[in-house]
Amino acid sequence: MPRVLQPFEYLEPRSAAEATRILADYGTRAKAMAGGVDLLPRIRQRKICPEVIVSIQNIPGLDSIKEERGQLRIGALVTLHTAELDRLIKERYTALHEAVHHLASVQVKTMATLVGNLCVATPASDMAAALFVLGASLVVVSPDKERAIPIEQFFLKPGQTALQPGELVTEIVVPAPAPDSGSAFLKLVRTAADIAKVNAAVCLTVDGDACKEARIALGSVAPTTIRAPRAEAAIKGQKLTGDTIQAAARAAEAESRPITDVRSNADYRREMSGLLVGRAIKIAFQRARGQHE
Amino acid sequence: MSKQIVRLSVNGSNHELLLEPQMTLLQALRDELGLTGTKYGCGVCECGACTVLVDGKPVLACSILAISVRDKDILTIEGLAGNGNLHPIQQAFIDYGAIQCGFCTPGMILSSKALLDENPRPSRQEVKEWLAGNLCRCTGYVKIIEAVMAASETMVKGGSHGK
Repeated sequence: MPRVLQPFEYLEPRSAAEATRILADYGTRAKAMAGGVDLLPRIRQRKICPEVIVSIQNIPGLDSIKEERGQLRIGALVTLHTAELDRLIKERYTALHEAVHHLASVQVKTMATLVGNLCVATPASDMAAALFVLGASLVVVSPDKERAIPIEQFFLKPGQTALQPGELVTEIVVPAPAPDSGSAFLKLVRTAADIAKVNAAVCLTVDGDACKEARIALGSVAPTTIRAPRAEAAIKGQKLTGDTIQAAARAAEAESRPITDVRSNADYRREMSGLLVGRAIKIAFQRARGQHE
Repeated sequence: MSKQIVRLSVNGSNHELLLEPQMTLLQALRDELGLTGTKYGCGVCECGACTVLVDGKPVLACSILAISVRDKDILTIEGLAGNGNLHPIQQAFIDYGAIQCGFCTPGMILSSKALLDENPRPSRQEVKEWLAGNLCRCTGYVKIIEAVMAASETMVKGGSHGK
């Protein structure tokens, strides 16, 4: 691996508006950078060769986590380390906390941002699965407008997002969890900080023993993170018993579309999709009923 | 690409360097300042051999641009010992035989310092989790973990916290 990076120009705009104008001017020749954990190694590996890097590190206002009008807002410069230590996320947005907690090394957590991880568009993103079930959306700005993209519409295929040239993600917005709801995130890895072979997130709203609402997401088993609607239907409106949870797990297996690669094989991934979904349902159910494990 | 003057604060000393924007912090440290304690391992954020502390936080010098850490406090392994005395973590690595080939050691020690600064009395499990981003290909992890636990004792008992 070459130690040096190919030459590029480096710009540090002072506002999101200025950043988007630069990104619009250069189009595909420019890359936005937050932590650089993904971008710089890919430049070193000669997978990409941008002429211009647009660092957003000095744009004010992007480094905070706050709750406003019942919504959690996570700025584009919030690092995984900051998010992991955030009490609000740990207490109320449990699946997101668990996804961040079990991800990568301390060094990477110190450098990498949540928004940056999403923009890489890896099908194995742990944060994406958690944010799918929490119903998150992304605030996207461009030189002339601002729009919100629901996270389920953000990923097009591996490495490709719905962002247009000149667009920059400035925030993740997560609605407040419903009363009597609970969420959980699980993943299967070789060693602790590894990329997931399979990951699963579940968010349930309950009424006694019954499941009122269910959102289930799977990662690393399709070209993008996916929802598992048939698994959700198997428990929605049902009493949560061993049988209904098993039915949801089997539906999740059927909805996964995994491939075989260096980290795992398709059959194993499919089987584990069901296993993780079943376990995550049980944990989310206990949390929704206030019986923290 | 055009070179720029970049001021780096390394181990308490200020340096003005004329750098191209694509120069990594690792290159600036090793090639411009001659601080070769920081190692180049994998180049893809996996091994932790290039770990240094920026404003007290562990980062990977191979994948951070020198220009992006200008005016921040950078600590490398060369800056850890003070007044001729080894930092308690360095001493513990020697006392516990936690060094084999030595290539991972600067990164291991700086990651450990960041841990003990944030969490002075970590459990063994917390040490293992924290050091998961520092690979030792000699696989001497047991002694490294013992050394960090011992350094924690020393530092909590009032030994020097180093810098």
